[in-house]
Amino acid sequence: MDPAGTFATSFVRDQALIRTRWQWLALAAFLVALLIAPMFVGPRLVAIGIGIFITAVVVLGLQLNTGYSGQINLGQAAFMGVGAYTAGVLSTTFGVPFFLAIPLAGVSAALFGFIFGLSAARIKGFYLALTTIAAQFIFHFLILSLPTSWLGGSNGIIVAAPDFFGYRLSTDTHIYYLCLVVVALMTWGAYGIARSRQGRAFVAVRDDDVASGIMGINVTRTKALSFLVGAFYAGVGGALWAYYVRYVAVDQFTLIHSVWFIAMIIVGGMGSVTGALIGVVAIVLVQEGISTAGPIVAEAMPFLGGQISFAAMNIFLGGIIAAFLIFEPRGLMHRWIIMKRSYRVWPFPY
Amino acid sequence: MRDVTLRHEDGGTRSPASAQADRPDAGEALRADGITLTFGGVTALNEVSMSVKHDELVAVIGPNGAGKTSLLNCLSGFYKPQQGQIIFNGADITGKPVHEVAVMGLTRTFQGTHIFSGMTVIDNIMVGRHQHMRSSLFDAFFYPFRAREEEVQNRELVEEIIEFLEIETIRHQPVGSLGYGLRKRVDLGRALAQEPKLLLMDEPMAGMNTEEKEDLARFILDVREGKRIPVVLVEHDMGVVMDIADRVMVFDFGRKIAEGTPAQVQRDPAVLKAYLGGGAV
Repeated sequence: MDPAGTFATSFVRDQALIRTRWQWLALAAFLVALLIAPMFVGPRLVAIGIGIFITAVVVLGLQLNTGYSGQINLGQAAFMGVGAYTAGVLSTTFGVPFFLAIPLAGVSAALFGFIFGLSAARIKGFYLALTTIAAQFIFHFLILSLPTSWLGGSNGIIVAAPDFFGYRLSTDTHIYYLCLVVVALMTWGAYGIARSRQGRAFVAVRDDDVASGIMGINVTRTKALSFLVGAFYAGVGGALWAYYVRYVAVDQFTLIHSVWFIAMIIVGGMGSVTGALIGVVAIVLVQEGISTAGPIVAEAMPFLGGQISFAAMNIFLGGIIAAFLIFEPRGLMHRWIIMKRSYRVWPFPY
Repeated sequence: MRDVTLRHEDGGTRSPASAQADRPDAGEALRADGITLTFGGVTALNEVSMSVKHDELVAVIGPNGAGKTSLLNCLSGFYKPQQGQIIFNGADITGKPVHEVAVMGLTRTFQGTHIFSGMTVIDNIMVGRHQHMRSSLFDAFFYPFRAREEEVQNRELVEEIIEFLEIETIRHQPVGSLGYGLRKRVDLGRALAQEPKLLLMDEPMAGMNTEEKEDLARFILDVREGKRIPVVLVEHDMGVVMDIADRVMVFDFGRKIAEGTPAQVQRDPAVLKAYLGGGAV
């Protein structure tokens, strides 16, 4: 809903993402703040920022796949892992520059995801969720069973710092800017897909696959395509992860990570690109808070033991998913829209 | 007040009835021959043949379980009949997948509501434009100028349909929040956005009050006369059927037992028997 007195006078205006001058200003200010932030904040906050960016890319993909198309995907971490390994091998073994390795990582993850998208043609809901969990195990099994000389097996692989025409992106600040550029592009893409013909086909398939068919939408193809897109995002996020950590191993991409990603879109709000971003920021910040507070609590109350962070994190994960599903099933984004509407129409009741 | 008919005729993308006059099967939009559909031991449709002419509003009536909806499901590709052939505008569509049949110009509305409840009215009707738009996933991601242009052009057509169906005030509302009558209107709008060459409607009047029925009957007549789209209507409401149909087909136990103008059908002894039982005749 637009602010009072703001009316779209053309269809171009009506479908625009940014609707008022103030929104333009706010967006510009936000981007500038993100650009200059590394100069003012400490290394820890930069690292949290990178974590948020990488997770945001992966979760945007999940949002398109699960939130928009309604295809439950518990294999997003595995798709991310495929991307991370691809980027790692391409850049370390074959010397492919990062600006090619990142999209190629997306493509390889997309192909892996597409296989599971094909199974979505025949099964849905609970059974599909189980099938995508299989993606996790197939991924682990493959990495650990292939010869160590290929993908490093259980040792993982070391990734070289990305090289930009002789300039090495070796510090966290460099990676921060790399991730910022990628996340901005991927966010733009997600908004584009969400408001386009394809995005409507995704939502149509989610809401009613019978009616989608009669609209001329190829339901099977659309479902597979949504996995393709979701996994592409995961692969790109995985590539960024590889360049950031510079070490890739299977235990970085487990089922619990996939569950966290699902939690992020539940908290943010299913079926909203902005909601996905909000969910990522909210959850990552709380995760960081818990891992910061954990050692302090453990020190103050030694009888709790040293595992307090780990335990608290899992209680938080379970609790937050349950609480949101019960009390706020449509996520923070929905709550925000209600608030926005109520202050825009105030003091009128509607 | 604007003309309520759409301007599709001069758009060139769909072929109105007049343009098809020189085709060999000029008179017929749809022809079905000897359709037999069985579910296990139950014969839902038994050797059913029918045809629909261009510019014709055909009603299909019959008691519950007569096979009306099964017939519609066969025609639109949801069921594959075991025997028989369905010819749509000269092409054999028997057993083709639903979305391919839809792209050829055969669409339908549903009994109850099969609507995309999470989307706004505009988006629902925009989904109907899906098959006429070309933007790929790649275009969607980068959203170049031509993707926006395509959106806007199709949005204009959608707005015409919104105006035609008189749902301007709810265009931005999510369909899930609308009442039943309005949902059915959106369902019709979505079908019209496809620029169909034949529209099948499965019990559009069910569950509506008199006012809503009158509105919808008016829209159906406008579709047939203004847009020259032939309509096949499955309906239980005899008043509506007798008022608006050109021709009525009566089904009972999977067979077509009578066919003719509403007046003829009303006097047909087989029809009276089917509806009122053997003793009443």
